[in-house]
Amino acid sequence: MDIKVSGSMQAELTSPPNVPQPVGSRPAKKLTVDMEILEQEGEMSNGVSYIYWTFGGSVPGSFIRTRLGDEVEFTLNNHPNNKLPHNIDMHAVTGPGGGASSSFVAPGHSITFSFKTLNPGLYVYHCATAPVGMHIANGMYGLILVEPAGGYPIVDKEYYIMQGDFYTKGKNGDPGLQPFDMQKAIDEEADYVVFNGKTNSLIGDNALTANVGETIRLYVGNGGPSLSSAFHVIGEIFDRVHVEGGSLLNENVQTTMIPPGGAAIIEMKLESPGSFVIVDHAIFRAFNKGALGMLKVTGEENESVYSGTIQEGIYLPEGGAIQTMPGKGSAPAETIAASKDERIILGKQIFSQTCIACHQPEGQGIANAFPPLAKSDYLNADVARAIGIVLHGMSGEITVNGTKYNSVMTAQTLNDEEVANVLTYVYNSWGNNGSEVTPTMVTKVRSSH
Amino acid sequence: MHKIRFILTILIFLSCALIGKSQDKTDLKSIKGGYVAPLYGLDSAKVWVDDFQLDEFAVTNAQFLAFVKKNPEWQRSKVKSLFADKSYLKQWTGDVTLASTMKPNSPVTNVSWFAAKSYCAFEDKRLPSMDEWEYAALASEAKQNAINDSLFNQRIVESYELPNTYLKTIGSTYKNYWGVYDMHGLVWEWTSDFNSVLISGESRNDGSADRNLFCAGAAISANNLRDYASFMRYAFRGSIKANYSIQTLGFRCAK
Amino acid sequence: MYFRKAVYLLYFFSFFVLLACQGKEINGELYACPMECEGVKTYDHPGTCPVCKMDLMKVSNIESPVLAEGDVPDESIFNLTSIWTTQNDNPIHLADLKGDVLVVVMLYTSCEAACPRLVADMKNIKTNVNDSDVKYVLVSIDPLKDTPERFREYAKEQQLSGDQWVMLQGTVDDVREFSNVLSMKYKKISPIDFSHTNIISVFDKNGVLTYQQEGLGVSYDKITEEVIKQTK
Repeated sequence: MDIKVSGSMQAELTSPPNVPQPVGSRPAKKLTVDMEILEQEGEMSNGVSYIYWTFGGSVPGSFIRTRLGDEVEFTLNNHPNNKLPHNIDMHAVTGPGGGASSSFVAPGHSITFSFKTLNPGLYVYHCATAPVGMHIANGMYGLILVEPAGGYPIVDKEYYIMQGDFYTKGKNGDPGLQPFDMQKAIDEEADYVVFNGKTNSLIGDNALTANVGETIRLYVGNGGPSLSSAFHVIGEIFDRVHVEGGSLLNENVQTTMIPPGGAAIIEMKLESPGSFVIVDHAIFRAFNKGALGMLKVTGEENESVYSGTIQEGIYLPEGGAIQTMPGKGSAPAETIAASKDERIILGKQIFSQTCIACHQPEGQGIANAFPPLAKSDYLNADVARAIGIVLHGMSGEITVNGTKYNSVMTAQTLNDEEVANVLTYVYNSWGNNGSEVTPTMVTKVRSSH
Repeated sequence: MHKIRFILTILIFLSCALIGKSQDKTDLKSIKGGYVAPLYGLDSAKVWVDDFQLDEFAVTNAQFLAFVKKNPEWQRSKVKSLFADKSYLKQWTGDVTLASTMKPNSPVTNVSWFAAKSYCAFEDKRLPSMDEWEYAALASEAKQNAINDSLFNQRIVESYELPNTYLKTIGSTYKNYWGVYDMHGLVWEWTSDFNSVLISGESRNDGSADRNLFCAGAAISANNLRDYASFMRYAFRGSIKANYSIQTLGFRCAK
Repeated sequence: MYFRKAVYLLYFFSFFVLLACQGKEINGELYACPMECEGVKTYDHPGTCPVCKMDLMKVSNIESPVLAEGDVPDESIFNLTSIWTTQNDNPIHLADLKGDVLVVVMLYTSCEAACPRLVADMKNIKTNVNDSDVKYVLVSIDPLKDTPERFREYAKEQQLSGDQWVMLQGTVDDVREFSNVLSMKYKKISPIDFSHTNIISVFDKNGVLTYQQEGLGVSYDKITEEVIKQTK
């Protein structure tokens, strides 16, 4: 309350995943923020478009970075092409409606109000015009950061991520312009759960990047409207988390809970190179609805931290005898397929235990994540290559049936017999070329690596 | 001789008809009186709307152009700022010239309430009241009152999201039970008493209205929380002032 | 031969007359009620208004006082042509108030809740400003009930004496138009009650809006300052 301002400046607003420059040691100032509201069509997923209502032309909206004690003069501009009036409620504002009652603005007009930042932390902002749920569901949310005096400690990289749930008339993946579905929103049955407004915002070329040894800070928010985020980065541990975006610090956190209308600040030092998948750990949202992103870390491997697979071998329990539970009889002998048809049947069992999660029951894969096996040109072109992928895994960009995929497939710990069976099943399903893969072929590929 | 006289008579009648057509007068459709429950009003209070007539179509660019030619005080360079803000007819290329990208049969927009009111008065009509407009807008293609038709309501909400619908021509959406076109999905429309919507813009509060800002405001709260399309319409009305000119806002007249 | 020519001429003439029949070129004097009781309805002969019984006046005479080009700024309320009746039964145009600073509030006399407080605020401002070049204007949003006679009663009840108080009754349409100029909102919610925003507005001597105070229980220091400033 008593912090005096000295001087004025224009706020730098950035689009996700970037954030403005840190405040550093600057004093509190009179800060001018000019935010534009745009209603515009965008791409939710491959072939799926959606009309987003945005602050600054992006979902989430522009990142606003302030310092404790700043007197912010906030102007909200509603573009004349827009159809609807809007306003803004910033959780960083102490005042009626968080600013909403003073910022109600019709299309083609602008409105200005001002407030002083009284509390440090990371705060959500969003539109609060009726029907509020609809305005938020269409993407009208973002983050405003109030850094304490001196700013947060400087790190190597900072990124802006915000999760949101979307409700469309059609199902996930249905093509074309999808209107908003109010009933699904009320029932909290999301079709898409995504980071930064669309399914591939943080994948492939848009993946976040960093180097081994760097410390990064993620400003993570959740616009909702309904679903909480179990925010997790596969393969990394959060060294420090500003719990709920406030001043409480937690350390060594695997998954942090971010409610709708909430945020968290996450810091971690990267000790290992590789692709680290960013997910909402309510896992079907990650693999089936789009809550998936990527952090690509480049640099020197550090074998003592993570070595990758060191060895594969045969597991022969002591004595060589098969141990059984009393009374349960002996374990079934492993069936060796005697014919192609038997191979297919055994292969199907393996497929439904091992491969189905990613490649899906009809081999259709998951858009933007895992390529299809059904009628796959990539698969049918080279059998030996397919065997190699099952044995050794695969990462990097490939094109399957005209669509690019850039994901990670882990090496499968299956023996030669099992690899032969599952691949034969795949090649004889869903319109593939009907090849038979024999254990001999698998052994050959394995030993030639 | 008789032939020529005959032909000339026909010519005269034809020209009358052509003049009538070229004046592009919009037909009025009769709306039989009934009850409407305004979104913001006393608890589930139904309001009676008397029989009235409503324009079949929204007022078009061509019609408004004809109006400003005859009433130069409503031309863009001459209009007083009391009656229209700086965005008045801003997309026209001149006082009496439409932009080449504009269709004469698209609804006229970027006109203020004062301009719309004057236009209707000039046509010997008036702006519809909010209750009249809302009553006529209850109708779907087949039903007089489609308030419980959730599919129709969903269609309305979807049409509100579609951008740039003001660029379409009149008659390009749907014709309702009364024979009136485009009540939803083309442009927002002025009503004579749009400023009877007393919402503050802080919509989470609008139920318990601030006693100091609005006298007896607490008596008014939203009636049907499910009617999302209405929320959007009323929110729009609550955000505008009479001299505003908005790209997605046009009007039609009533009698 | 000439007869035939005349007939053809007649045809062509009527053709052009019909052509001219677009728009509303009316010749001859028209009469209307000066209070616009019947809206824009006109008569082609003098008489009395069937609603309020006032004498019909020539339409051309009901024009507002001719303001020379640039006489008042474009934003001035004196550009409105509406006719109002004061509490003393005098019909006036708003432009007749030119030359005084105007402090304006819209209310209705049977309002029990906020309006008495608005009037009290107006009285306080008047006492603190203490300048005769200011008019305090009450415009009724219930013109069908708030007649000049009712206003005279109200002035007694509220102790509003002196010629600085102006109370105006207008037509329903003109009141709506005026409320839109002030960006004031109101709605009739029952046969006797209105819901309305509480705004006191200040206009300079040229009728241009310079300041508005919204809400009750707000200190009237700022508005008093503004009024005093405008009187200079």
